[in-house]
Amino acid sequence: MPARRLVVLVAAAVLLAGCASSDPEPRAGDDPTASSGPTRGGTLSVAIDSDPGQLNPAITTSGGTHTASELVYNGLVELTPDLEPVPELAESWEVLEDGALYRFDLRDGVTWHDGMPFTSADVKFTFEEMLLQLHSRTKASVGAALESITTPDADTVEFRFSRPYAPLLLQLDVTEAPILPKHLYEGTDVQKNPVNSKPIGTGPFTLESYTPDSELRFAANEDYFKPDLPYLDEVVMRIIPDKGNQVVALEAGEVDFLFGTPGPDLPRLKESGDVEFLTTQRNPGGSNCIMTVSFNLDKPIFQDVRVRRAVGSALDREQFVERVLFGQGKVAEAPISSGIGFAHVPGLAGLPTFDRAAAEMLLDEAGWQRDGDATRTALGVAGVPDGTPLAFGFTHFPTFAPYAQLLRAQLAEVGVDVTLTPLEPPVFADTVFTARDFDTNIISYCNGADPEIGVKRMYVTSNIGPVPFSNSSAYRNAEVDELFEQARTTVDEKARTATYRELQERLVEDLPYLWIVETEANRAFTTQCSGFSAAGHFAETASCSR
Amino acid sequence: MTRRYVLRRVLQLLPTTAVILLVGFLLIHLAPGDPVLALAGENGDAEYYAFVREKFGLDESLPRQLAVYAGNVLSGDLGTSYVQGRPVAQIIAERLPATLLLTGTALLLSTVVGVAVGVFTATRRRRWPDVTVTLATLAMYAAPVFLVGQLAILLLALRAGWFPVQGMTDARSSATGVARALDVGHHLVLPALALASQEVAAVARLARVGLLDELARDHIRTARAKGVGERSVVLRHALRRAMLPVVTVLGGRVGHLVAGAVVVEVVFGWPGLGRLLVTAMQARDAPIVLGVFLLVAVTVVMANLLTDLVYAWLDPRVRYG
Repeated sequence: MPARRLVVLVAAAVLLAGCASSDPEPRAGDDPTASSGPTRGGTLSVAIDSDPGQLNPAITTSGGTHTASELVYNGLVELTPDLEPVPELAESWEVLEDGALYRFDLRDGVTWHDGMPFTSADVKFTFEEMLLQLHSRTKASVGAALESITTPDADTVEFRFSRPYAPLLLQLDVTEAPILPKHLYEGTDVQKNPVNSKPIGTGPFTLESYTPDSELRFAANEDYFKPDLPYLDEVVMRIIPDKGNQVVALEAGEVDFLFGTPGPDLPRLKESGDVEFLTTQRNPGGSNCIMTVSFNLDKPIFQDVRVRRAVGSALDREQFVERVLFGQGKVAEAPISSGIGFAHVPGLAGLPTFDRAAAEMLLDEAGWQRDGDATRTALGVAGVPDGTPLAFGFTHFPTFAPYAQLLRAQLAEVGVDVTLTPLEPPVFADTVFTARDFDTNIISYCNGADPEIGVKRMYVTSNIGPVPFSNSSAYRNAEVDELFEQARTTVDEKARTATYRELQERLVEDLPYLWIVETEANRAFTTQCSGFSAAGHFAETASCSR
Repeated sequence: MTRRYVLRRVLQLLPTTAVILLVGFLLIHLAPGDPVLALAGENGDAEYYAFVREKFGLDESLPRQLAVYAGNVLSGDLGTSYVQGRPVAQIIAERLPATLLLTGTALLLSTVVGVAVGVFTATRRRRWPDVTVTLATLAMYAAPVFLVGQLAILLLALRAGWFPVQGMTDARSSATGVARALDVGHHLVLPALALASQEVAAVARLARVGLLDELARDHIRTARAKGVGERSVVLRHALRRAMLPVVTVLGGRVGHLVAGAVVVEVVFGWPGLGRLLVTAMQARDAPIVLGVFLLVAVTVVMANLLTDLVYAWLDPRVRYG
């Protein structure tokens, strides 16, 4: 081909591409079908990571089970994206006796998928026989405070606590407290009941079939109590363990929706224009998660807060957001996640920010001397022989290796030598929480909807010990323990916010942990579908135009 | 070949599988890591973890757990999955057909194609078709299964669009009968090819060498001298005995295929035993892991037995007593 013709062709192609991209994006409002509301019918195909194993969300907090089963069930309330409780199975509620008594008026005319009526007895049974026995989060928080559940009549249920209990309304959605049918579970071993793989709920979808390790098919519940919902006829969940293959399946059109997008694939999918995203901090396995570095405070080198502060100042968190998360998240600005609006306090004085010179100075002051570019050594550090190098281990899940590598590189800059130890999750839990054989580690601590659910466990003295993902640093501060207790029993939100502020001021002063980044997930879905919510019955209001 | 011989070989299964189970049991229980994490989630309190340990007998001593497990297996009970709360036998039975379909297809494919390639190359010895194909099979033999799988997805599924990228059926179809069988067949092509690729190469190379050896023997020269056609010489006279080394490795290949299936099932989202094993290992779900071990061990031992029997049939000089 003569060079000139090639130039012309290239120019034409560039021009065409330019025209195409300058075309106005088609808007939802321009779509002729949009005027008549969401499209009804159709099948949504969704990729999930793992086989759920079983489908009873009341006896486990497993992300796999919750992802697959929350379409089938309801909670007493639903949480909006801003974590406001709105009615679901409960039509309304009253908070009495300063928060020691909660009375719920249940919705009339709700039926289980098998046609039986839903009543207050189902609520009481689910709590007493399942949630407070086997749902680890609800058992540890609600269970520890609850006195009794009573059912004055079929439409009313009352929760009575020994002292005022603040967080209850945030713990009653389908994730924390799904309601299951008493008539199918009563008198059985709830963990071995066959209903666990053929669930009967009140939710927007009914389970049609479950082929282990392959797919789950859900059909719309024709009698759903929320009018007009759901729009879809069918939801199919495909089990695709490898995240890369999930992206491939989305690109090939075999699935329509992914719960998360691997960072490296994100720019390509965004550019393709065929995929839309919903960014959220909520995930079936836990929401409002903060990647957190623990110091083993039983080790002499970490007993000086200046060392912990220096490590914090040596870390450039923006780089973690860019290089590890590919922008899917943000720098953590407080011990409590920004997803819990009333308790999050940004801009606390003393929270370390990236300042390498400050880090070096703190280490010098703490007695860790540096000679040129070498690793620092101890000179007059309490409990550490002089000449000991400032070297420690960093234990992490293999999937968190990118965090570990970046941390090691950044700490090497200030003369700290870090050795990485990747461990599979069950081994990690054993090593860190039972054997306590580690120096530092990184954990994704999910805060949940309320600090009582996922924050308190990291800090209170009573939670040091062989419990996975408890107080990893072995932080002991009686004042902090007392503040958590105070926050739990304060129902007034302003007063509660003040307590959490005071609490976080203490934590930032002591720095038992370093809060690195808040992680976010990007639900990715084909532009043909819309109306997804981030958590719970994610496809309840979804529709696809096909 | 006597019935007594077969019986004795079958009886040998018992100590073999017992040792495999014992080693498997010790490996999974002595390896660090606690199944309670997968069972109880990560927000429980100490009391709850203790309750879960007790419920599943995880608080007992190792010898005691082994004794209980061995007793159950002897009475035909493989136990209950920690995570799923269902009988292991039932869970394995659900996944078995998918794996049988995949490994069976790959075994058939690798044997037929492998022998054909072997014949093709042996009869064109040292000419360019032999050199090209032999080099190609060498490359196939060296390529890891996961690489072949990913390449197949990239080229044949994503670029060419001929095959689906994952799963056993089309998510949006609820077809039954013949349509469903065709759908499954369409989904089977890539994983079976990926799984068979290495085995095709191994079989082809064995068949080529065996056939070349055979073609150089006296009885072949005699056959040719008598005027037997070349086609008949190769296929009737030489190939049967050249198959001996191919058959010898049959039992071992079954083991390879099962190992390869673990990788292929994860890459292609194929709902079989391999994926079950990977998930169960990650959750430290010991009853499932041991159940799969048991099944694989019995299969491989049986495949070896079958190999020996076929060997005797192919070479009448071999006698078992």
